[in-house]
Amino acid sequence: MVGEFEFLILSAAAHLGEEAYGAAMREVIETNGGRTCSLGALYITLDRLEAKGLVETWMSAPIQQRGGRAKRMVRVTREGVHAAREFYQAVIKISSGTVWGESRRSRLTGDAA
Amino acid sequence: MGREQAQPFDWGCGMKARGAGWRSVEAAAGLLAPVEREVVLGDLAETDRDVWRALGDVLGLAARRQLSLWRNWRPWAASVGLALPASLFLMGCSVAASADLAGALRELDQVQLLWFPLSRLLLVISWAWMAGFVVGSVSRATLWASLLACFVPCLYCLSKWPGEGLSHLRLLVFFLPGLWGVWRGRRQMQLGLGWTVLLAAMAMLTPLMWSKGGWVYGCWLFWPGWYVAATARRKQ
Repeated sequence: MVGEFEFLILSAAAHLGEEAYGAAMREVIETNGGRTCSLGALYITLDRLEAKGLVETWMSAPIQQRGGRAKRMVRVTREGVHAAREFYQAVIKISSGTVWGESRRSRLTGDAA
Repeated sequence: MGREQAQPFDWGCGMKARGAGWRSVEAAAGLLAPVEREVVLGDLAETDRDVWRALGDVLGLAARRQLSLWRNWRPWAASVGLALPASLFLMGCSVAASADLAGALRELDQVQLLWFPLSRLLLVISWAWMAGFVVGSVSRATLWASLLACFVPCLYCLSKWPGEGLSHLRLLVFFLPGLWGVWRGRRQMQLGLGWTVLLAAMAMLTPLMWSKGGWVYGCWLFWPGWYVAATARRKQ
């Protein structure tokens, strides 16, 4: 199973779709995940995810807006989707019956009503 | 934490940054591999980070990359396994070989005595070259650690050396051949089979001739010879 930070990276990459690369993913993690994210942690974790076959990365063409520098583009593989879903379901399952899990459920049922 | 703001980049002439802060970020990025350097500098240029955080990002990534290298056996073998014991061994051999040669030169009328100290000196030089070659080829990315493991004992022994002036050089006869070997090892990962056989034979002879530090130490110093033999380039 993936770790918490790996899950955040998979989620950020999936959220960005075709536009997933280092700087954009860091922005998503810091904005939506509410935590700081260093480029070191990001790229080391990306390497690990790639070694596990959960993401694919490749270099884009040089981009004028980055001073002619390339981006390291990221795509979540089918195995990555499976691993992220497994982590997410484990979190939901283990949270049921807890204060935070119940408040989430009641909020969801309240929203539905 | 500094309050220096990110300086704008001059996009017109290929990422020519202004300001000492960004120049230091670019200098620090030199620690990264070329492809990763380009990616990271591009990412930093896109986001409006202050210089200190950008510097932390680059140095943090470089430190993590370096740490991840040490999970492998190669940096340990090159630095602790070879550079450190070899520098101690070779300093002893250098002193002994140069003393032999100096003694023989004082009695130049007995020319037949000269070949023996010369051959011992040649062995030291060859062994130093081979050890340097193995250090350079086993772990190129952590060469700094191997060089440190070699320099520290050398500096310590130099500080304790009783002689003066040029006599210091007697300790370091091996040094230049060793550095030459490191340079070759970094560039060429495999030696030809002929050279390898010669070096491996010398690798066996040198620790046997001096036998400093006991037979376990001597046997340990065989491994560079086995390594070059195992990685020799064989004709197809």
